[in-house]
Amino acid sequence: MTRRRKIVFWLFVLGGLHGIVLCAGFFAPYDPVEQDRINPYLPPMHLHIVDAEKHLHLRPFVYASRLRPGTFDQYVEDIRQTRPLKFFVAGAPYRLFGFLPARLHLFGDGKERIYLLGTDAFGRDQLSRLLFGGQISLFSGLLGAGFTLSIGWCIGAAAGYYGGWRDDMLMRLVELFLALPWLYLLFAVRAFLPLTVNPLKAFFLIIAVIAAVGWARPARLVRGIVLSAKERDFVRAARGFGASSFYILRRHILPETSSVLLTQAAILIPQYVLAEMTLSFLGLGVPEPVPSWGNLLSNLQQYSVLVSYWWMYLPALVMAPFFLGYLGLASALQESSDAYKIEKRSLGSLA
Amino acid sequence: MASVLEIQNLQVSYFSREVRSRPVLSGVSFDLMPGEILGVLGESGSGKSTLAASVLRLLPPNGQVGGGAVLFEGKNLLQVSSEELRQIRGNRIALIFQEPSLALHPTIRVGEQVRRVLAAHQSSGKNDLDHRTREVFNRLFAQEADRILRSYPHQLSGGQRQRVLIAQAIACNPALVIADEPTAALDPVTQMEILRVFRDLREHLGLAMIFITHNPALLAGIADRILILYAGQVVEWGPAETALRSPKHPYTKALFESIPAGTGETEKSRKTSLPVIPGNSSPSSLPRKGCSFEPRCPVRMDVCREFEPPLVKLGQSHIVSCFKYKE
Repeated sequence: MTRRRKIVFWLFVLGGLHGIVLCAGFFAPYDPVEQDRINPYLPPMHLHIVDAEKHLHLRPFVYASRLRPGTFDQYVEDIRQTRPLKFFVAGAPYRLFGFLPARLHLFGDGKERIYLLGTDAFGRDQLSRLLFGGQISLFSGLLGAGFTLSIGWCIGAAAGYYGGWRDDMLMRLVELFLALPWLYLLFAVRAFLPLTVNPLKAFFLIIAVIAAVGWARPARLVRGIVLSAKERDFVRAARGFGASSFYILRRHILPETSSVLLTQAAILIPQYVLAEMTLSFLGLGVPEPVPSWGNLLSNLQQYSVLVSYWWMYLPALVMAPFFLGYLGLASALQESSDAYKIEKRSLGSLA
Repeated sequence: MASVLEIQNLQVSYFSREVRSRPVLSGVSFDLMPGEILGVLGESGSGKSTLAASVLRLLPPNGQVGGGAVLFEGKNLLQVSSEELRQIRGNRIALIFQEPSLALHPTIRVGEQVRRVLAAHQSSGKNDLDHRTREVFNRLFAQEADRILRSYPHQLSGGQRQRVLIAQAIACNPALVIADEPTAALDPVTQMEILRVFRDLREHLGLAMIFITHNPALLAGIADRILILYAGQVVEWGPAETALRSPKHPYTKALFESIPAGTGETEKSRKTSLPVIPGNSSPSSLPRKGCSFEPRCPVRMDVCREFEPPLVKLGQSHIVSCFKYKE
């Protein structure tokens, strides 16, 4: 039961994190591409509940920022201007889940702007960009893993189930793909496309390349399981009773591979999120101004940003809980499937 | 009367990395009449299970049929298309597997497992399938058929599981059932119970059956004819009565002598040691001349080393492969 509870725990953690990113429009106070050109590289504003005169406020507030006199890029808190946080306010219009038009935001201030995570070079709210960028990055990870696993499953199952020369041929192909350097392959694929592509095309290009290269490893794992599953007595019995190949693949072999597929998914998703970030970091992913975690981090390519504006690192930091969640889930799944195998083995020896 | 199944000169061999091709069945021929129960007797490695598997083309990937024919209802099963074969498997010919605990899926209710066999061959409605499944269970389980139908394999005893396998086999009213050591994994009392089930089924359904076993005692009350395999060859084939009571082939004789006497044994006979057949069942990996039983035969002659013995017909349908006998 504790094994199951572990899985449920990690699923809850991941569900919460993904829920926040999914509802980015609600949690983000602003539109991610809206610019505030007079406030570039504004540092994060601190939340206060006690003001300069030691008065306690029930409503958290921030101080407005102003330039430190004599500098042009250093800000200090202006204690004369407080900006209280208002919750559940109407703000910039957005579409919830991509289609439901809405205006409601978790917090904001109708007139004055609040930057809890600072701004970038164009004065765009880093928090909003972070949340919206997560949608692109996580979705490409999920979709990439989905494609990879379905291609990998089909090829691995075919190789293991049919065996013989088909198996040999497919496994040589797997080795070829395992040997490919995917990053440089992507450069090559990118070279065939026009200089500017629209964000949607770029997004699917990334996923296609990730899936085209990544299927090899799951294919090999699935093949191994199928090889042993098809020799099970009850699978032979099913064939003896007139089951078709399709039935056996669907009813007997797919369920056997499900634990490996789940574990692989939990390992592959963060890997692919990272792949998307690498590509966007290099400028090969989704183009500006659309935010993605890789896009946000690509600001760090400038040395001045790297040394001066620490809050530009935040997207990298935000990844950590997601990765932790996925890796925790992967190990919980692994543990439970191993335990299942051990139980099965001991039952078998008793029978 | 036309036979249900006719096997002609069947040759099967297994390939492996070390040995290019190892013959397992060499020239097996027999036929089976409707409603007949044929007992196939042989020790481990004699090719009994291979015989069962090759009828339905269920050999492992490294097994290959080298020649011969399996004629069922006028079709050579070795040549029919795979879709035709799929329709015959489980529907016209059903196989009962050795290990009832392994041949059932561990996480599907046994009723569903029988229902799916029906569903694979009949395109009738859900209610009809449920009804037919229930009928099959009622036939095999005198009591608690409903409870067993809803059980998982691990909730059943070995005998009950074996009955479920039989239910799967007879669900579609096949013309032929091949039972590959159906009682090997069971205790003697349950073995007798299962044998009674087979006897009942034969009486009520009139299906032909191939009953494979290594235990001659099991065949006594159930088989009509008996086929004895040794190293992939038929050494004796005849009516159960004569074959069991007065075996002709030296191997069959030696085999029956090595069975402990049942009831009525005296203190004295219990102390005498059981006769055994000297030597090992010949590994047929090397092609050799002569009779395959010759190295272990107590009555071998010079001719046995040089030539393969012909099939000699004794009486109506009793066939022996030995130089000792002449027609």
